Amino acid sequence: MVTYILRRLGAGVLLLAIVTLVTFMIFYVVPRMAGQTVQQLATMYVGKAPTAEAIEATIDRLNLDQPVALQFWEFVKGIFVGATYSFGGREVVCSAPCFGYSFQNYTEVFPELMARLPITFSLGLGAGVIWLIGGVAVGVISAIKKGSIFDRLAMGVALAGVSLPVFFTGLLMLAFLVHAWDIFETPRYTPLAEDPVAWMTGMILPWLTLAFLHAAQYARQTRAGMLETMGEDYIRTARAKGLPERKVILKHGLRPTLTPIVTIFGLDIGLVLGGAVLTEQVYSLNGIGRYAVQAIISQDLPVILGVTLLGAFFVVVCNLIVDLLYAWVDPRVRVAG
Amino acid sequence: MSKRALGLAALGVGSALFLSACGGGGGTGGGDAAGTYDQATTEVVNASDEKGGTLRYAISANIESTDPGNTYYGYVWNFSRYYARTLLTYSPEPGKTTEPVPDMATEMPKVSDDGKSYTLTLRDGLTYEDGSPIVAEDIKYGIARSNYGDDALPNGPRYFKELLADSDDYEGVNADPSDPLAGFGGIETPDDKTIVFHLKEPFADFPYVLVQPQTAPVPAEADKGQQYQENVVSSGPYKFEGGWTPGNGLTLVRNEEWNADSDPIRTALPDQITVQEGVDQNEIDQRLINGELDVDLGGTGLGPAKKGEVLSGEDEKARLDNPENGSLRYVAVNTVVEPLDDEACRQAIMYAADHDSMQRAWGGAAGGEIPNDVIPPQIAGHDPDLDLYPSKDDKGDLDKAEEKLKECGEEDGFSTNLGVRADRPTEVAAAEAVQQSLGRVGIDVEIKQFPSDTFTNTQAGSPDFVHENELGLNIYGWIPDWPTGYGFLSYIAHGDNIKKAGNSNISELDDKEINEMLDEAVRTEDADEQARLYSDIDRRIMETGAILPIVFEKSVLYRPDNLTNVHFSQGYSMYDYMTLGTTGS
Amino acid sequence: MSAPSHAPDQAEETGPAKEGWVAAERSLRQIAWQRFRRDKVAMAGAVVVVLLIAMAVLAPLLTRLFGFPPNEFHQDLMDPLTGGALNDPANPTSGIDPWGGMSGTHLLGLEPVTGRDMFSRIVYGAQISLLVAFGATVLCVVIGTVLGIVAGYFGGWVDTVISRAMDIFLAFPLLLFAIALAGVIPDGAFGLQGNGLRVALLIFIIGFFNWPYIGRIVRGQTLTLKEREFVEAARSLGAGNGHILFRELLPNLVTPILVYSTLLIPTNIIFEASLSFLGVGINPPTPSWGGMLSNSLDYYTTSPHYVIIPGLAIFITVLAFNLFGDGLRDAFDPRSSD
Repeated sequence: MVTYILRRLGAGVLLLAIVTLVTFMIFYVVPRMAGQTVQQLATMYVGKAPTAEAIEATIDRLNLDQPVALQFWEFVKGIFVGATYSFGGREVVCSAPCFGYSFQNYTEVFPELMARLPITFSLGLGAGVIWLIGGVAVGVISAIKKGSIFDRLAMGVALAGVSLPVFFTGLLMLAFLVHAWDIFETPRYTPLAEDPVAWMTGMILPWLTLAFLHAAQYARQTRAGMLETMGEDYIRTARAKGLPERKVILKHGLRPTLTPIVTIFGLDIGLVLGGAVLTEQVYSLNGIGRYAVQAIISQDLPVILGVTLLGAFFVVVCNLIVDLLYAWVDPRVRVAG
Repeated sequence: MSKRALGLAALGVGSALFLSACGGGGGTGGGDAAGTYDQATTEVVNASDEKGGTLRYAISANIESTDPGNTYYGYVWNFSRYYARTLLTYSPEPGKTTEPVPDMATEMPKVSDDGKSYTLTLRDGLTYEDGSPIVAEDIKYGIARSNYGDDALPNGPRYFKELLADSDDYEGVNADPSDPLAGFGGIETPDDKTIVFHLKEPFADFPYVLVQPQTAPVPAEADKGQQYQENVVSSGPYKFEGGWTPGNGLTLVRNEEWNADSDPIRTALPDQITVQEGVDQNEIDQRLINGELDVDLGGTGLGPAKKGEVLSGEDEKARLDNPENGSLRYVAVNTVVEPLDDEACRQAIMYAADHDSMQRAWGGAAGGEIPNDVIPPQIAGHDPDLDLYPSKDDKGDLDKAEEKLKECGEEDGFSTNLGVRADRPTEVAAAEAVQQSLGRVGIDVEIKQFPSDTFTNTQAGSPDFVHENELGLNIYGWIPDWPTGYGFLSYIAHGDNIKKAGNSNISELDDKEINEMLDEAVRTEDADEQARLYSDIDRRIMETGAILPIVFEKSVLYRPDNLTNVHFSQGYSMYDYMTLGTTGS
Repeated sequence: MSAPSHAPDQAEETGPAKEGWVAAERSLRQIAWQRFRRDKVAMAGAVVVVLLIAMAVLAPLLTRLFGFPPNEFHQDLMDPLTGGALNDPANPTSGIDPWGGMSGTHLLGLEPVTGRDMFSRIVYGAQISLLVAFGATVLCVVIGTVLGIVAGYFGGWVDTVISRAMDIFLAFPLLLFAIALAGVIPDGAFGLQGNGLRVALLIFIIGFFNWPYIGRIVRGQTLTLKEREFVEAARSLGAGNGHILFRELLPNLVTPILVYSTLLIPTNIIFEASLSFLGVGINPPTPSWGGMLSNSLDYYTTSPHYVIIPGLAIFITVLAFNLFGDGLRDAFDPRSSD
């Protein structure tokens, strides 16, 4: 078990390293290939008085004229041991884990990410619970009552669900549920600790919007999986043994179906925690995703790098958790890897 | 000019009296809290001297910076006065809001006979939030940190650096840690109460420069460079609670050390002031209407969605103000990119443009007036009778346009590119309108989008980039740093101000006649003579076809019922924040 | 790390079974076609897909018959005070038309501010959506097939490297990456200008990030196929790897690839719309559905039609492709019973 965990951890760390490297390349190398000069890059961070001297000073201060490999090394080093930047003649210490320093906002990236994390977590975890339970439940019932009106209706809705982009669902909810019919108030984030009721009422529309898309996928997948397992021989055996149908379905039917679902859930939730970009954008929730979009618009490289890294981190961690769960449940996995 | 500036001193005192009279008596529309349409543009609405409550601001972006030395946005210049007092500021009296009046200074500056030195005296009782006294050297320090050296604060203007004498070798407050101000000869502080500015040349508009927030005092030991924004040491009636980082909002609470007697400008009615950042514009507008919010900090007014809705409802319309905000929105027609280097080709564009269409794209009549010249109506030199490119219903004169095309040897039309900020839907719509109207005479325009954060520095603001990408046209806007002809025109039309990056003279207009007239105007003391010069410049710019005006922009500002003492400040192009109070919600 | 897939299902089952595989394949296709024809829902999807493609191709003709040039302004129909909202013809002084100006002349109403004809813009918007989605799908298929077949056939370290690469792609915050990448490429890069560059960029980004879905399926198929006799036979006759890969294996992969690329198209349509929604799509004034939705964020209170119409266009298109693709997959699935 220990070697297995170590191997998985190693793979996760490697993955993170590659993601960081690729992100770094996209922002530091691709624009140069496309013809951007160091001066142009520096001009983005020099404020509103971009004199030639100020640009040179910025290049120097941010090490923009150093080889990309060295800049990359500095960035990675910062994550582990922190970094020191010179701003306005004063040393600014960015303590570990230093995800960089926003050249445009004069803030450390990591605390900014942490400040927004609760919003994205509230959104992602709340929606995740809804879509996992909702999607699987609908899928199971549909499978059991295959061909019934419920099944047809549910699968119809699910098919529509996977065909609706979240920003369209979100806009519809805003235009009708919030604005025209005044049923819900405009979504906004209130910290859970501050006011649990406001937290919930403020997040309910974003949850539903994000959950609908995923629930639809999960319902379809669960149904397909259930139908497949319920046709297997061992189910017939179980029935023949005289086990009650409930037990047959829940114990023998659902379990193998859930395995791939949980795997996908791990990946999905990991991606959402790294920033539910579209949902946050539609509802103007200041989570990680919106922070990233703003940073991309203003080309604030350290922020973009930080967000991407954090996003990949969540994917890796969630996958790791799923893998370890499997290994714990089913010892064969450890060998098969 | 100094005569006029000195004359204003009396007005400064007068305005304080005016406000307190207002607070006592009400006097607008018989106690109707809602006021009437456009009322606060010209007078104080909902006058009250009721103290207390929380005044709630929100803004759709992040605050640029709370540091008074590191900002170029009018809303921060306006708002920062809550905690950062300046030498002079704009008058809070309606109708005179473009005139500088004393704030920390006892009176308007005394100008030497040669027009090159300005002397001010500080009021008694000026203190920081810790109770220590504000001294003249702290003001000098504030100006030094924001203007001088490679590591000067990046966002603010650099007028002091351009204007002050004896300071060209000064390398900023970090050059010599033991004596940050060594070598900064442009400002003298003979004693704690006196500050003297020495200029290279006479500059009649200098009082306007003293209005800028860079004249707020900064104690040297509290300066943390760009990070000073996290906790600005207050000199005004409010101080930071819990610090500020971009995007996380700001709370201001009363600064008990502030001495009301020393302050003729601020009424300091609310007990607390809050700012929420990054709130979607639609959401801000809705909260204003619901009474859950008092002021949209950005001061640019309702977004397109709510604007349409509120303007079409009679009751709600009474809560709107629709002032011209003093800015010109225009298409910068580049004078270097071919074939626009030919004046006739530029004039063809001036004739072909459909002003009605561009105005509608900019939000219709509520979005702005169609201009026939460059200098906005609020500024001396504006000529209401000028109309060099007349057309029926402002739809453009296509025959004349084709004539001009023939004249510049492009009778079949030509192709050019139009740069626009991608994340500004109004500007994109205006770009499309320009594209459509020029297409009528065979001028084929391709729209190129750029991020607004980099547009003014590295794309439209970089002549090299403009030439390389043949950006013959760029959608741009200009709000003057101060409301005079020079404050408005020098950065967008003076040939000496063409810069390699961060260029505002995007047309690259370098006309000898215009340059000379501008230089002359700012040395001219007589106001009428000066206005006449600006009118000539105005006409000449229109002749060159380097600036195609879109609108003199108007804001649609929402005035919630619980907001008191509301009036529009032309100087800041938004409500005057220092007088606002709230009756609670 | 385990590498879950978002691809609709695993597909080990569609391959041909025995020798005489060409005949088997042909008859399998015939059976599939018969099944597909009986599937009314899938047929409906197919019909809509055909109509949509026809709409995109015939856009100039359609707009001439039923609409206006897509970029033509009709600002005279807008409220002159705000410029943005649509005048209510029934109540011209103070009304906003709740129907967005829909009429016999403007079938789907008008866009706020510019007053451009929505019908024409929707029709032309289909061109961009479908062009990008098809282009990206082709790119996905090419990359996915080549890498998948190579990984599956050669196995060993080649397989390991390619499979890990697929894992990495799946772990990336794709959308963030895509907008970031689309944002940093300046105009004129790689010798392309304007919308040519934008379309190429969208196709490249979407294709480049979505290939692992196809890659996995092809790899899985190849793994099962390479053990079959016909591959053994070819090998014993001295055929080279190239011949086996592309002459023996590839023809057998055509069916699953086709089926799964049909299912990839709707994903790519949504991806394109998402990028346009986030502001990194095509340049104005060229219409795109995602771009219209992005603009509608400012107008959903006064002009809800501006939200609904482009949104429905995306929905119908994606749904039709999903129905079509689902039907196709079921038809080729030997185990599907109905």
